[in-house]
Amino acid sequence: MTAHDRYSSPLAERYASKAMLELWSPKTRHGLWRRLWLALAESEQRLGVDIPAEALTQMRAHLDDIDFEAVAVYERRFRHDVMAHIHAFGDCAPAAHKFIHLGATSAFVTDNGDLIQMRRGLQLLRGRVIRVLRVLSAFAREWRAEPTLGYTHLQPAQPTTVGKRATLWMQDLLLDLADLDHRIATLPCRGVKGTTGTQASFLEIFEGDHAKVRELDRLVTEAIGFRESIPVSGQTYSRKLDAHVLGVVSGIAASAAKFSADIRMLQAFGEIEEPFERDQIGSSAMAYKRNPMRSERIASLARFVGTLEANANQTHSVQFFERTLDDSANRRLAIPESFLATDAILSLMENIASGLEVHPARIRRRLMDELPFMATEELIVRAVRGGGNRQEAHERIRQYSIAAARALKDGAEHNDLLDRIAADDAFDVSRDELERAMDPKRYVGRAPEQVDEFLAEVVGPMIGEQMDEPVHEEVRV
Amino acid sequence: MTSAAVGQAALPLPLLRSGKVREVYEVDAERLLLVASDRVSAFDVIMAERVPYKGIVLTQMTAWWLGQLDGIIPHHMLASDADAIIATVPALAEHREAIAGRAMLCRRTEVFPVECVVRGYLSGSAWKEYRASGTLAGETLATGLRESDRFDPPRFSPATKAETGHDENIPVSEMHRILGDAVAARLEDASLQVYQRGRDIAASRGIIIADTKFEFGRDPDGTIRLIDEVLTPDSSRFWPADRYAPGGAQPSFDKQPLRDYLDSERRAGRWNGDAPPPPLPESVVAATSERYLDAFQRITGAPLDLSALLTRLQ
Repeated sequence: MTAHDRYSSPLAERYASKAMLELWSPKTRHGLWRRLWLALAESEQRLGVDIPAEALTQMRAHLDDIDFEAVAVYERRFRHDVMAHIHAFGDCAPAAHKFIHLGATSAFVTDNGDLIQMRRGLQLLRGRVIRVLRVLSAFAREWRAEPTLGYTHLQPAQPTTVGKRATLWMQDLLLDLADLDHRIATLPCRGVKGTTGTQASFLEIFEGDHAKVRELDRLVTEAIGFRESIPVSGQTYSRKLDAHVLGVVSGIAASAAKFSADIRMLQAFGEIEEPFERDQIGSSAMAYKRNPMRSERIASLARFVGTLEANANQTHSVQFFERTLDDSANRRLAIPESFLATDAILSLMENIASGLEVHPARIRRRLMDELPFMATEELIVRAVRGGGNRQEAHERIRQYSIAAARALKDGAEHNDLLDRIAADDAFDVSRDELERAMDPKRYVGRAPEQVDEFLAEVVGPMIGEQMDEPVHEEVRV
Repeated sequence: MTSAAVGQAALPLPLLRSGKVREVYEVDAERLLLVASDRVSAFDVIMAERVPYKGIVLTQMTAWWLGQLDGIIPHHMLASDADAIIATVPALAEHREAIAGRAMLCRRTEVFPVECVVRGYLSGSAWKEYRASGTLAGETLATGLRESDRFDPPRFSPATKAETGHDENIPVSEMHRILGDAVAARLEDASLQVYQRGRDIAASRGIIIADTKFEFGRDPDGTIRLIDEVLTPDSSRFWPADRYAPGGAQPSFDKQPLRDYLDSERRAGRWNGDAPPPPLPESVVAATSERYLDAFQRITGAPLDLSALLTRLQ
């Protein structure tokens, strides 16, 4: 239930998915801590530390039944969250109480736990990226050959197709997907490194046996599902890892933001609109309005996520020597919020992409207003082939074009450039010939074929063949 | 980082090999200790989670099968009971919990470098090869076979032991070249006999053992022995007989809950099919564990007596 008398994060209240909220919940975080303590104790026992089997049995039986009220009481007393959780765990696993956390520093649970959460978070985002790609694939396929005005400098340029433009959005996400896979595969855990990363306390436990300390690191690394632990650490793993992870996350957000910017402009042109609910109200004053608010929300959240990547780099850069605690409060906000916001962004993007309303007539009309200009390059070539002077032809067309463009801006019904050219003997073309030159399909180059090739050769292998049908998910708007 | 080859591990014995799911320790010049862990792999990826009792099932099932071999071929097992092992290897007395049920004390042999695969059904790499070229290990098979069709009689289909990745199927003639005619014939004959006995017993209990892999070694006396795991879900394909339907891939008796979950994660895009795998829900781990215990009960006719295996004899 929403509390109305205190601040709560809109990411939790409004935007993020259940799965992502659960991942960053205290229950998950502290359940991971207990699993880490169990993995440590099991591995220590395997290497000869005298931990009774009963201790491990009790720990295994109480991985998820965390008494958060008892933890709060301990935390008020100790002012230390890790110690509070150790005592609460020890209360339900009394035979293990004196062994929990043996040789470890707080970062053993906090850092390894954070890395597990981040890796899972990347996996969840991966699923969302794939879903968006699936939806955009269908869109690109449907509109593969629909000519539309291209834009460079945000000025009309050679036509492309609606579907081809969607492949540009998709390619950005595919690049993000490759980064995601790289980070998921290579993210290390912190492993078992001790207070300043020297493993001194563990060397003490194993009475100077270096090989056993290394083996402990390996056993715990394997038990918590990692291939590697970070080779060296201070008290914490290098915060550069956070910056790497948030870099991938903010990259996804940026790709979505670029998509949202295009949609907002297309909606302003009236060519393509994001979905709009039957009873949705665009403006409290202007009743006719239909605003691209979902795309605007993507832009809004993505800007926030982008700042968090820079934030992570700054946190890394000001960690003194083996660590300072000025990372802590910042990371508690920056890392989960990056994931929650990007989760929301991708959910919005999927929603928008699966409900885009394309208006071909409007697209065509705006294209036809500009197409005569696009045809002029060909006319210059024809004039020269007929014995004309290239520079002269270019100058005439430049003048006709300026006049036609001005007429359009001053209220002309349609672009009369072709009429002006047909009337000029220097070009020796009939109005009919000129009309035939006005088929927009002639100007889209290989765009339709590029869409086909891209979907078959690039997207297919990356997103797999046998994927689930997209599940329709309601977006709160 | 530390590698799996580091000899320091749970037991006070030199670690010779650490495989996907098993460790092999040296006891002395004549004996080895094989310890099956609860690790589980699917789609060639090892899961982070452990499947409770899986290692015990593998070891005790092997021990049970070895007891059914009378007259076919000698085997390498000396003991699979923790107390019997400790009685002869006192160094393990402090590690009873680590070995209980899951360790097997074995004679050391010189291992023949060929995997002796027997196929009772057309599946896996054999089906892929057949579909592509109509052959199995280069030998032409009848046309028109469907995936998971039954071979009668079963086919012997040796493979080389690849250091990494998948073993490669080789023609029987190649095996004869590697091992010599007498040994090759002996291994083929023993493999087919053990498999057929296993296939018949399992079939009567609702499990199809579609194919399996045996290994053999020669002890210092020159005796050829069946070694390694025998007719376990990890060395074989177990299918539930009541769902057998040739013409496609069959569900796995033991790993299906795990595969279904991983498939759903893959289809949802949350896993790319490569390591690291997604975390497994408790329910999937529990279901997989139950499948292994059920397989044991069906094959041997009696439930795995965990309390007897895990409790120290007085």
